Order: sequence, then structure tokens, then C-alpha cells
Amino acid sequence: MNRSGGLRTYVLTRIALAVPTVLILLTMVFLLMRVAPGDPITAALGARLPAKELEQRKKAAGYDKPIIDQYGEYLGQVATLDLGESVTDNRSVTSIIKENGSATLELTLAAFMVTLMVGIPIGLLAGRFRDSWIDVSGRLFGIVIYAFPVFFLGFLTQLGAGEVGWPTSGRASPIVDFDLDKITNFYLVDTLIAGDWSAFWDVLQHLALPALVLGLTISGVLIRLVRVNLLQTMRGDYVEAARARGVSERRVVVNHAFRNAMIPVVTVAGLQFAILLGGAVLTEETFNWPGIGSELIRYLNERDYIAVQGIVTVFAVAVVIVSLLIDLINAFIDPRVRYR
Amino acid sequence: MVRNRLLALIGVTMGLGLIAAGCGGDSSDSDSDASATVIRGTTDQPISYDPAGAYDLPSYDGIYSMYQNLLTIEPGGNEAVPEAAESCDFSDKANKVFECTMKDGLTFSDGSDLTAEDVKFSFDRNVEIADPNGASSLLANMKSVEAPDDKTVVFNLKASDATWPLVLTTASFAIVPSDSYPADKLQPSEEVIGSGRYTLSEYQAGQQTVMEKNTEYQGDAAAANERVIIQYFDKASPLKLAVEQGDVDIAYRSLSPTDIDDLDGAEGVNVVSGNGTEIRYLTFNTELQPGDDDAQKLAIRQAAAQVIDRQAIADNVYNGTVQPLYSMVPQGVEYATDSFATEYGDAPDVDAATQTLEDAGVDTPVPLEVWWTPSHYGTASGDEYAEIKRQLDESGLFDVTLKSTEWNQYSTAAFTDKYPTYQLGWFPDYPDADDYTASFYAPDSFLNIHYDDPEMNKLLAEEKGSDDPAVRSKAFERIQQIGAEDAPTVPIWQADQVAAVRDGVEGVEETFDPSFIFRFWLISKS
Repeated sequence: MNRSGGLRTYVLTRIALAVPTVLILLTMVFLLMRVAPGDPITAALGARLPAKELEQRKKAAGYDKPIIDQYGEYLGQVATLDLGESVTDNRSVTSIIKENGSATLELTLAAFMVTLMVGIPIGLLAGRFRDSWIDVSGRLFGIVIYAFPVFFLGFLTQLGAGEVGWPTSGRASPIVDFDLDKITNFYLVDTLIAGDWSAFWDVLQHLALPALVLGLTISGVLIRLVRVNLLQTMRGDYVEAARARGVSERRVVVNHAFRNAMIPVVTVAGLQFAILLGGAVLTEETFNWPGIGSELIRYLNERDYIAVQGIVTVFAVAVVIVSLLIDLINAFIDPRVRYR
Repeated sequence: MVRNRLLALIGVTMGLGLIAAGCGGDSSDSDSDASATVIRGTTDQPISYDPAGAYDLPSYDGIYSMYQNLLTIEPGGNEAVPEAAESCDFSDKANKVFECTMKDGLTFSDGSDLTAEDVKFSFDRNVEIADPNGASSLLANMKSVEAPDDKTVVFNLKASDATWPLVLTTASFAIVPSDSYPADKLQPSEEVIGSGRYTLSEYQAGQQTVMEKNTEYQGDAAAANERVIIQYFDKASPLKLAVEQGDVDIAYRSLSPTDIDDLDGAEGVNVVSGNGTEIRYLTFNTELQPGDDDAQKLAIRQAAAQVIDRQAIADNVYNGTVQPLYSMVPQGVEYATDSFATEYGDAPDVDAATQTLEDAGVDTPVPLEVWWTPSHYGTASGDEYAEIKRQLDESGLFDVTLKSTEWNQYSTAAFTDKYPTYQLGWFPDYPDADDYTASFYAPDSFLNIHYDDPEMNKLLAEEKGSDDPAVRSKAFERIQQIGAEDAPTVPIWQADQVAAVRDGVEGVEETFDPSFIFRFWLISKS
């Protein structure tokens, strides 16, 4: 098998595997929502209308149809990218994803930057100065920060931030939020487009705490991973050869060991994206961040089948796509993967 | 090389941004005039700003501000008075034909005229859409609505209904423009048009609703502010922080009793309260509850009503933010009495309860399974039911087993003969004693507790069919008396309406009345 043929087969196999993965996820979401007790009509009006009236309303909404019919309709909607309208507040799922999804993505990307900015340097320093106080401190920080639940760390930072008047909830102050021309729905970008620096500062302040909390929590994994990988690569023959040639230790670490140490980090960093999405749900709840995660919890509590199915579908597809991308990047940067 | 340049560009942009931000003023110096904008924070999220899709308080808050009804309730009042109508009254002796004459010169915010045809359209589409989240069920007694000319609306009712004027004050029956609203489906919440004091500027579900003063408004008492922002919060804790930090001017619905206690006396924050008509009560399924026969079941219900110490619940669990309730009709609503206090006294009486059970031959302690839900009636529900269990158990007459489940399961099980005794609460559809009696004591009540008393049914029909205050007063007095004697439901407390407001915010107290209409237009900020 030649080099390009092997890569093509690998890519096609991975894409083909993504389809049943998504289908299984969609089916599980659908069934779990139907098995769980309650329905959106009863949840909203159960203590107000007689049972007969509730049954009529459920019938009108189509909840009395056989499960298999509802499942068929659901898959048909997903296939045509029409995810329907939420039952409880009549919002199209597409608009929920667009408006609240952008808030989650903005938070996740900012948190991811924090993760990289904290995790990689600390991991590198810990690996470079193995068994020194820097190493011990870095490892201790990594373990402790990873052990902190997001909501607890969030609560602690809220307490501190509240004391100094730093914003602890929402994406922006109410008036800034209203005045902002939402072109991309990424508030930082929108304030830059508008050239409104005071709004930019306001949005940045609101983003800082949730991004820091979420990013720090995830950075613990990265610290340990970067450290271990750096230690392994530092033992490589080519590193010894570089040292023997008289290359400075700094150049050995940065130019030789670091790049190779980063290969497995790319994979794990990609996987952290899924964890970040999960963590974003908790972070959004803690900081009243109007993201898709907090909406998911609200719709779950209200048993809004349509909204939950739509949001989880998007989550599932996003994670599958990211996993696929990681597989492909791995295949490009590591020849052993595609020839296995 | 390219990557380095890109990183440098990002760095420079961020740096400039931070420098400029540091030099920039406060965000409140932006285009908006902050002092003319009232910001309310709330954990309540609206379902729809189309009246046909709304049957919930958060939606009503927006609808009352952006639309007009034929009739409304004035601050502190409890009677239906004209709003878009010049006058309304029954035109027959049987109270089955209700006729309204419209005011002249009313317009919607898009400039189109508001006529009787729009009123007819609004009611017809409400029935036609019958939205699962809407209140079309309140129109079950409406046979037809007619608009014989531009100024006259005639409602033909199936049965006599003295509460009809109050039904018309409900936000679900606000007037929408027939030119721009679809007749068979809901108008998206972002695109609503009304004739009220405000127009909708922006609605971002889960984030905020922004309403600005309607310059076309033709009615009485224009808004005391220029703009209202309703900011939504997932939970009470960030809402409390927001009002403490001054991010919102008003925090209303729903702060916990502990939050309210903390905020009372906090710097720059005042806690204001007013009469509220939200109630909580204990419900007995008369078939499932303990007792060998009807007499024993009645005695058990009466004994529970005698033993429960409502004042202790109000003081210990709710820090005085609720009031003990001695009738299913709360104080503040016309015709309310203290029937349970009259029947059993206003303090717990274990001796009397013991006698009641002995007379009926009930063995004590009575095993009582009591259900409550942690996810619908506030965070203090757990403490409330722990207190009720303590009171009943300490009497020696009951052996209570508390059980709880999430609302989604609870809301189905409670009304389908699964729970013998359970917690419930009620908001009024309209502030009339009928809404607090027929809803619970009628044989077709949503409660499905199998309570059916012929005299009660006759009295309910009587009060509903008459607009004579003397007839209604007498009927409601007897209804509440029978309710206390039979005790299929035991009232526990009625809540005050409580808000935390920043210094300089005026007018919140004025809007707190039994109608539950949150009148943004009364609120000003200095």
C-alpha cells in the first residue's frame, strides 16, 4: 500500500465510523427522553389544568403517537437539518444553537486558551527542571487544580470577585448587551467590530472569571501530560546527540524535545474539548453564562424533548467531528497511525 | 514566519484593546441613558410574548407592558376596569351576553388602528391555536365573539359567568393586531406588536428582554421610565449578587427567604414587599388517604388541619416573608374569610384534634404518607415539609413519612391517584375568590382528589352566575366554611410579594397587589 492510499483509506474508514456513532447517540438521546417520566405539557401546566385537558394538549402536540413514529419523524428532521422548535418557549432549535452556542463556544475557546497558556509552560518547566521545587510545585498545582470541581472553584472565585466588584454573571452588563450590535454573536469580536472599547472591556471582564475557572481545571491534565512527554523525549537518542554536539540545553528543550513532546498532547488536547463542553455546562450554571449548556439543563428540567434532542445532537456531532479531526491530524503527523 | 506575524498581530490587537479599555469610561456611559433605564433581574423565564401562547407570570410581565386588554385591574384594586374599552357590561339579565364599547383613537405601535375587529380576532385565534402552553381553556365558556361595528365587541357565553370581566383582564387575552398576526399560529416572541406602554426592542431568550416606551401609546398613565430591561438568571444566587453589585435595579422572583434576609439592610439595597396572593396548601386524595370510612377520613383531615402550626412555618422556615393562611381564598382577595381559624382556631390544638380522631374511632398514630417536590415550589419546600412532619409527629397523633420526587414525575403522579397527601401551590388566573374555590372544590377540579359535595357544587354555580355582591358574598362565605369543615385541602400560607431594590428605585411597592400584574410603567429611578 502506498503512502497516499493508506491515508485515504484511513480517512474514509474514520468518516464511515462517525456515521453509526452519531446514529447511536441520537437513538439513545431519543429513547432516554421518552423513558424519563414527565412531558413538557404536564411539567408546565400539571398543577393547573385537569387531566383530561392535559391529555388533549398532549395529543395536539403529538406526544400520543407511537414511539416508532416519533423516532422516524425525529431522524427525518435531523437528516434535513430541521431540528424543530422547542415546546416550552417556541424557539427554533437552530436559533438556540446559534445564540447560545456562540456563547458556549466563546467561553470554551477562551478557556482552551487559558488551558494551553497555563498547562504547557508549567508542564515544560516541570519537565525541564525535574525533581526541583519547580517540578514539585507544578505537579502539585496540576493535581490540586484538576481535583477541584468546576462549580467549587467558580464559587470561590465568585466570592473573591464579588468583594472587588468584578462581574460574576452573564456575558455583559445589561445595557452593554442591549446596545451591542450582534453580528457574529461572539461578543468580544462584535465589540471589536463596533470599535467600542468600553464595551470590549466590559465583555472581557465578564468572560475572564468563567474562562479562567474552566481553563484552569482542565489545565491540570495538560501539565502532567506535557511534563511526562518532555521527560520521555529528553531521553531520546537525538536529544543526547544534540547535547553531544554542544547545543545549549535551552535549544535542546525548545527546538528538539518540545516539538516531539507535543505530538501526543495534540491528541489529548482534542479530547479535552469534549471535557470542556461538559465543563462548560457546569461553568455556565455557576456564572449564569447564557450558553447552550445552561439552556440544556433548563430544557431537561422542563422535559422539552425537541430542544434537548436538538442540543444533544449538536453536542454529539461536535464531539464526533473533533474526534475525527484529531484522528486525521494524528494520521498526518504520525505515520505509524495510518500504516497500522 | 507567517505564524509569528499572526501571533504578533493578535498580541498587538489585544494589547491595544486593553489599553483603550483602561482609558475608556464606564460602560454605563454608552449611548443609553442609564438613569432612564430600569433593569429588573429575575429567575423567571417567559414562554411566549404572544398572548395566545402565554399562561405564565414571566410572559404576563412582558405582555401587560406591551399590549392592552379590554379591561384591566388598577394598582391596589381588585375589580375589572376599562383599559382599551370605554365601557363594558352584561347586556342581559342572565349574565350571558357581555358587551364592550371601544375607546376612540387607539393604535398599535406599528401605527395601525385598534378596532373591535382586532379584539374579535384576538379571541378567535386564541381558541383556534389552542396552544399547549396557552390559556385557551379559560375561554371554555365563550360561545362566540362578535364585532358588529368598529367600536362594539359582544361576547356570547354558554353559561352565566360573573367572573367574565376578570377573565378579560388576563394577559392571555390581550389585543393583537389582525393585520400582522397569523390567525392559526403564534407570532414569534421577537416580533410582537401591541398597543401598550412599551414596544419590544429586543428579546434574547434566556438573556434579556428590552422594552422601550411606546411613543404611539394612547392610554392612561404613560410609563415613568424610558426603557425596561428584564435580565434573566438561572438561579437566585447570581441574582442576589447582581442586585448587591448594582448590575440590576430590582431583583424580583425568586430570591430565597435567606437571600432576602441577607439583603435586608445591605448597603444600597432595600427590601420592599406588598400583598401577594400566591398560596401553598396540603392536598388530601380522599380515596387514597388513610381511614376506614368517610367519617374516619374526614376526621384525619380535620385533625391535620388542627395540628399544623402555620405561624411557626411562616416564622421558622420563611423568616416572616409569608403569612399564615386560614382559607383557600387568600387575604386581599374580595370575599376572603378565615374559615379554618373559625373552625379550628388560629393556633394548633392537639387536644381538639385528639378528640376529633377519638370520636371517629381512628387508631393513633395515623400513618400518613406526605409527598412534596424540591423542584417547583422553591428551595424552602424541604424545610417546610420537615417542619410539618415535626409538628404532626410531635402531636403523637400522626406518624408521617415524607417522600419527595422531581416535578416532572410529581406533576403527573399527584393528579393520577398516586399520592395520598401532597404539597401544592397556586397563582391566580384572575384575582377573584372563584379562582381559589372552583379550582379546588369543583368535582372536575384538576386536583382529581374525588371530592364532590352537592351543596358546594350548588354554591359554586351560584357565585359564578351572579354579579350581585350580596349573593356572591354569602355564597363564598358558605363555600369557605364547607371547605374548612371538609378540609380536602388544608391552606398553609400565602406569600407576600418581595423584591430587593437599589436605592433610588421607586414604585415597586405600588405594583404589588393581588392581581400579580408587575407594572413596569410605575417604576422610576433617580
